[in-house]
Amino acid sequence: MKSIRRTQRIISLIILLFIAGMAFLVLKINHEADFYMMNSDTHELGFVYDRSGDVLFDGSGHGSYPENYFIDVGNLIGDDKGQMTNTLVARNLQKLNNYSFSEGIKKQGGKAAIYTTLDHAANRAVFNTYGYMEGCVSAYNYKTGEMLVCASLPSLDVTNGYEGIENFKNGTLLSKNFLGTVPGSTQKVSTVISAVEIMGSAKLYSKSFSCSGKYTNKTGDDIDCHNIYGHGTQNIQEAFENSCNPFFAQLIEDPDLPLDKVKKQYEKLGYVLNGGEESYIDINGIQCYTASTTLENSNEFRTQWGCIGQGDTLVSPVQLMMWQSAIANGTGKMTMPYLIDHVTDLNGHVKEKAKTSYSEKLFSESTASAVKQIMLTNGSDRYSYLINGYTVGVKSGTAQVSEGAKENSLLVGFVDDPSFPIAFCILIEDKDSGYLTTEQVAQVLLDNLKNNY
Amino acid sequence: MYANPVAYVFSCIFVLIAHISMLLNIYFNGNYTEIRDVAVLGAAVIILDISYFIIILFFKQASYVLDFLLILILNMSFIFQSCFGKVGFDVKHLITCIVCLASCKCGYLLCRNHKLLQDKKPYIYGGVCFVMLVVLVFTSAQDMWIRIGSFAIQPSEFAKPLFILACATSIADQQKKHKLLTFSVVYENIALLALTAIVCLVQVKSHDYGSLPTFLSIFAVGFLLRICYPKAKFSRKKLFGVIALILIFVLIGLKYAPEYVQHRLHVDIWSDKTGDGYQQSQALIAIAKGGWFGVGPGKGFLSNVFAYENDIVFATISEEWGLLYALMAIFAILVMTSVPLVNPTRSYYHGTISACVCAAFIVQMALNIFGSCNLIPFTGVTIPFISAGGSSLMVSGFMVGMLMAGQSPSFKEPKKKKKEENVPTWRWQE
Repeated sequence: MKSIRRTQRIISLIILLFIAGMAFLVLKINHEADFYMMNSDTHELGFVYDRSGDVLFDGSGHGSYPENYFIDVGNLIGDDKGQMTNTLVARNLQKLNNYSFSEGIKKQGGKAAIYTTLDHAANRAVFNTYGYMEGCVSAYNYKTGEMLVCASLPSLDVTNGYEGIENFKNGTLLSKNFLGTVPGSTQKVSTVISAVEIMGSAKLYSKSFSCSGKYTNKTGDDIDCHNIYGHGTQNIQEAFENSCNPFFAQLIEDPDLPLDKVKKQYEKLGYVLNGGEESYIDINGIQCYTASTTLENSNEFRTQWGCIGQGDTLVSPVQLMMWQSAIANGTGKMTMPYLIDHVTDLNGHVKEKAKTSYSEKLFSESTASAVKQIMLTNGSDRYSYLINGYTVGVKSGTAQVSEGAKENSLLVGFVDDPSFPIAFCILIEDKDSGYLTTEQVAQVLLDNLKNNY
Repeated sequence: MYANPVAYVFSCIFVLIAHISMLLNIYFNGNYTEIRDVAVLGAAVIILDISYFIIILFFKQASYVLDFLLILILNMSFIFQSCFGKVGFDVKHLITCIVCLASCKCGYLLCRNHKLLQDKKPYIYGGVCFVMLVVLVFTSAQDMWIRIGSFAIQPSEFAKPLFILACATSIADQQKKHKLLTFSVVYENIALLALTAIVCLVQVKSHDYGSLPTFLSIFAVGFLLRICYPKAKFSRKKLFGVIALILIFVLIGLKYAPEYVQHRLHVDIWSDKTGDGYQQSQALIAIAKGGWFGVGPGKGFLSNVFAYENDIVFATISEEWGLLYALMAIFAILVMTSVPLVNPTRSYYHGTISACVCAAFIVQMALNIFGSCNLIPFTGVTIPFISAGGSSLMVSGFMVGMLMAGQSPSFKEPKKKKKEENVPTWRWQE
């Protein structure tokens, strides 16, 4: 009988292996059924709401909304039509489907929904401020990571469909907050972070360089200052406030700021250097481009221009905003932004809830504190009368685009208030095409957020 | 069972209830135009059930469990196949089911006397070689079928039961060792290795990569039971060595497999869901649509996809009847293969056959189900009894007959016995 038992053992083993495989398969199907269904042509989508329950996307298509009700979130929230792929709905379609493996598709009364962190009222107010001008604004709570405002112009109301898509303005179907843009002098925040981190704040403050309106670097190229008469001799605080290009070009050339260390610090900040492989920051499935620049030789124009924020340097507004959180928090760690607060299933039960998360440490607490002080001083010296009622640390920037034919205006910063912890980035494209300033947008943004906070 | 009429009656009632509940499901949830369609299908199922219940009484067996399981599964399969797309009457599948039942009884009658089979081993080896020759001559990589009018048969299927018989061995056979160089070897094991090599080469040549794992699993189980016979001193080290060697061969095979096989190994079905990933992606979508309880018999969309009734039949059943029902059908086949665990075979030879049949059935099910659900590369292998296909059903029936033979063996001595009284030619129990 012993020998017969051996055949039984082999049969048992084969059957057990198969049962284990089947159990795995059933669990896999149960777990991934949502995804399979999203690849079919049968959907029953639910709603996307803002933080106060305002509808941002109506998957049922039965609701009635005022004209252009969704225009401020059109290219952020998107829809399921497939025209926009890097939007919240497109990237989270399966979470919106009123389907579960055990209950099938619920055609009536399904409660599958995405509850976002967005403040629709503030978003719309900021969007309207732009008028006919274009650009983007992003703002978030740097303590929790909740994205509050994420508007991008031009945009579209998805309920109007895509008729005449060929006549849509460039950038209508994309949220510019997630795309790389020339950061202009807002890049100097990264350069200051690197300088403080490498040489320490005392040494950096001890350095002074003069500006005569132009600086001819060691390889013979000219770095122009926006002030053609020059700023004279300045320290880092003054140069930061003056946004003086020659100062920063000389700082990059300084032997106390070796390029290899600058490169390392830039990489820690998330820059892709010298044509490296592109990568993305994931925000609830939405891909946000990471920064890129050229750092090859500290004496050359291209590298200095890169550290000043012109040339081929590209940073997405959201990433500029995220760096502000690392400074404002005083920890050197970015608070990772998120758009989805929670998700409910077809029965209305919460199945996913957002949690605050942080990046790796980008720089030390002392660096964060020093840079924060520089930005706050800049805010109080230059912006206190432009942005009323808030203690802000800011840095403005002007980016030359279209080979210098147009200039974009940027403003990055944070509110230094534990009860109102907002970091933001504002971009106005072709600033000379209108009278809107980034400070005006910041005022509208903060006022509206404060009202609803 | 023969001696227990109560169990016989209850088994009959159980099978009838199972089938009637399926028919009621069709009546209430099915997609049919006229009630007559359901009635005709129901009548055919019940008549086949009752006929088989009567027929098995003419076979004197120690156990009828496998008979009841077989008729249960076959009529489930007939109902499934008749309902795909729309409730109807799949005459062709009904005929193949009847052929399967007949083939099962043939298998039982032919295999119950293992002494007889052992004496005919050269013919079995010859049979396998003959089938392989037919595969080599009459089929090609593009078409693995031999078509005669409206009939098509897949010859490699017929090699499976023969190969199982070739792999089966008795303990006595394994004791016939011979000195070869410095090694003590069993000639028959070398012959089996050679036969396996021939089978594998022919399968590779005809690009039948779906049947290859089935043959290899039969060989693996058969060979394992050969080298593990009680008196053999086969250390664990050597056993693991052999397994490692097989794994190395498999890995080398995968690395140097033809381009289209490599493609199947790496295809992302969701990014190629209108191309090479079409069947699998549609199968998974269908399973998701069906959920636990299905959309209703005849109401599925998967019946519009190629090979819905065989290669992706698990998904087609899941969609229309629900994943629970599909799992129950698979469970019934598993119960069939596990009958030797409850009622052990009474000879090592039949034990080996049972293990090989079990391996063949389960590997085929695994290849079909896991392949169509994208856990492993997709191959065109059928699920025994469930998938449509005459060759597959006939051979599967024969293999169940082989399992039955292990349950009710015959120990009659062959009529012509050679004078070898001093040396036992076989032993059925140690």
